[in-house]
Amino acid sequence: MTDAPILEVRGLEKVYPGVRALQGVDFDVLPGEVHCLLGPNGAGKSTLIKCVSGVVEPTRGEILVGGEPLPVGAPSASLKRGVATIYQELDLVEDLTVAQSVFLGHELRRGPLLDREAMRRETIALLERLDHPTIPPNAHVRALRPAAQQVVSIARALSHDARLLIMDEPSAILDDEEVETLFGVVRRLKEAGVGVIYISHRLDEIPRIGDRVTVLSDGRTVATGLPADTPQGTLVEHMVGRKVDQLYPARSAATGDVVLSVRGVSGAPMVKETSFDVRAGEVVGIGGLVGAGRTELLRLVYGLDKPDTGEVYVGGKRLPAGRPAAAIAAGLGLAPEDRKSQGLLLDWSLTKNVSLADLGRFRKGPLIDGRGERGAALEQLRALKTVPDDGERITRELSGGNQQKVVLARWLLRECKVLLLDEPTRGVDVGAKSEIYKVIADLAREGLGVVVVSSELSELAGFCTRVLVMREGAVVAEVGGEEATELELLRHAVAPTDTQPVIAGEEI
Amino acid sequence: MSTTDAASGEGRSLPIPKPRGRIQLQEYALVGVVALILIGGAILEPDSFLTTDNMLNVLRQASVVGVLAIGMTFVIATGGIDLSVGSMVAAAAVAGGQLVDSGSAAFVLGALAMGIVLGGINASAIAYGRVVPFIATLAMFTMARGLALWLSDKTPVSLFSLDGVRWFGNGEVIGIPSAAIVFLAVTVFAWVLLNRTRYGRYVVATGGNREAARIAGVKVRWIVFSVYVISGICAGLAAILVSGRLASASPIIGNLYELDAIAAVVIGGSALAGGRATIVGTFLGVITFALIFNLLTLMDLAVEIQQITKGLIILAAVLVQRRER
Repeated sequence: MTDAPILEVRGLEKVYPGVRALQGVDFDVLPGEVHCLLGPNGAGKSTLIKCVSGVVEPTRGEILVGGEPLPVGAPSASLKRGVATIYQELDLVEDLTVAQSVFLGHELRRGPLLDREAMRRETIALLERLDHPTIPPNAHVRALRPAAQQVVSIARALSHDARLLIMDEPSAILDDEEVETLFGVVRRLKEAGVGVIYISHRLDEIPRIGDRVTVLSDGRTVATGLPADTPQGTLVEHMVGRKVDQLYPARSAATGDVVLSVRGVSGAPMVKETSFDVRAGEVVGIGGLVGAGRTELLRLVYGLDKPDTGEVYVGGKRLPAGRPAAAIAAGLGLAPEDRKSQGLLLDWSLTKNVSLADLGRFRKGPLIDGRGERGAALEQLRALKTVPDDGERITRELSGGNQQKVVLARWLLRECKVLLLDEPTRGVDVGAKSEIYKVIADLAREGLGVVVVSSELSELAGFCTRVLVMREGAVVAEVGGEEATELELLRHAVAPTDTQPVIAGEEI
Repeated sequence: MSTTDAASGEGRSLPIPKPRGRIQLQEYALVGVVALILIGGAILEPDSFLTTDNMLNVLRQASVVGVLAIGMTFVIATGGIDLSVGSMVAAAAVAGGQLVDSGSAAFVLGALAMGIVLGGINASAIAYGRVVPFIATLAMFTMARGLALWLSDKTPVSLFSLDGVRWFGNGEVIGIPSAAIVFLAVTVFAWVLLNRTRYGRYVVATGGNREAARIAGVKVRWIVFSVYVISGICAGLAAILVSGRLASASPIIGNLYELDAIAAVVIGGSALAGGRATIVGTFLGVITFALIFNLLTLMDLAVEIQQITKGLIILAAVLVQRRER
């Protein structure tokens, strides 16, 4: 690797009012290199990306692209110099076609008119370079699966002649099989000499795709240029600044009766007739690929969607269909897949978010007993070691892991019997993940029944009592916790002849 | 396991200054605006503006749109809008007018009942028919006006014989206009309802994040339904106040009141997208408009100047809101 680096970052600092987001970051990216960037939430990864892509202006330090300093605070200048960013939440306009999306903002023209044919041709060429010639350039982005949407995003970056591509947690929205496809694309970019900054919370991805690793913590580079095969334990130590003894807590075992019984529940088109039971004290995992119907199954059980067939029993009592309020009254609680858009009111205080499902408890005549509410909410937040443990804080300011605890605190306050958790550790860093596992295991030990849906098969294998695997809307396997390995679960999740369709829903 | 350490590891985001609520800022800003108007008015019209009589008069003038704006605050808190309140005022007044021979109580009940029924139609269309609020209440905007003209045969009904109704428009209690008392009472009641009860919490939750509210067990459709009924009741109440003042139940009253009400809510600081609502802000918004209208009238400035001023205030208030964001 004798090539001159594409990107050099030297002594980068960024101070926001009251916060030092970056306090000395150094690293570089070589052409054709995949440089993994690791760090707990709040370590400054996002700020670093924003500086490099020109969205924010650094306070001190320099950023050299191709040996020349980058004009500060100008996203278009960064783009012109070949720095493109793929954000975690894809910034595609869903109503545009693939070709329109790729050329959004720099449309090809013939005179005053759009040259649609040329853009179509160029788009096909780009998609071929990315080994995805099957994505139709005239399809609407909305109709594509997340993985295909991501490829479109990458094609857009390439259309700007990107020399440096920044990918912010690209695998977070993908299942294991789609991640493999993504890696294929990244390898193609490498061969073409593009430098890639790859951010991920999934440590197991690093040796598979990365060349070198840089670890950020507290706004500083704590290690840079580590080889990609650095042991995970070492990486985690760098990230959290100490040893993590054990990622997963001990498996809990069923201690009581069936608390949740799902009988023949189905809901077209995503969920075929499904039955399972959960006993008190159990953590039941539901694994499978994205689109296997896991989230949809939870929604049916909880009554957010009305099932076509089947019944749900909680503590032996049948729930009325399609009524979440009744499900809650019976003892169910749901922590939805997307905390921010479905779980929390981000502008509300922690207290109000915790008490929302159980306001009846704080009745004082017709009014809410504010003091009682604050006290009870704080008690639950403290029990979960939420940081900060100040109920008056605005929920938006908390890290992902702590926001998840706010959702859990809500259901603890409600004293629910069965918790349905959809991707409880998505977007949560390693240290906080192990904490959430422990909270879940503790809840089960206290007699709750817990259902955990996750795309990370390794975490289901890590601490669930047993794991159900879904494929194409049906539970196809049940694996006991001790026998569960990531590979075993993946084998069930992927049908042998299954080929990944490009258009969402085509497989059903 | 060293979980506590991990917790403090995440706690690096700790030193965040305590947030000052945007709503509070804006409420304070409006207090400043009101103070400025009062001071300016006292200088420009030293004899007539800052007098007890005139201030009570301002409150009375503000009361009709004020009551509507309070109802509108609940609707906007859920992310909705009610374009039909002005027309509903006319329909409610006419409905009461049909019962003129049965006395004041019948008028009041008739007006409120019409408000509830029309609000209920809005509510059903929006909550259960899933019609967009803008469209549903736009339909009601023309329907209620048509209903008022049709029922009344396009003729106002004199309410001169109804002392009780006229009391709402012109009466006083210990020197304070009864319309102002109604407006203040509605404001206080609404403040408690929105800020101190479970119902109010659910209203704001529904507007802030409908899906999250539903997952937390809020019956969001019922909440959405209820706010349009509240708006209808407020229209009925406003109809009583305005009819009492005019001593007549007219089918042409209430024109464009909906826009005045929406404007007051918006400059008060409630978010049109829902999830952020302030009764104090709405009250101050109503008072701001009423004071300016009153002052410009005292200064003999033409209606068109008043309209331009009003527009400028709306624009300025929304620009302030954007900057604070």
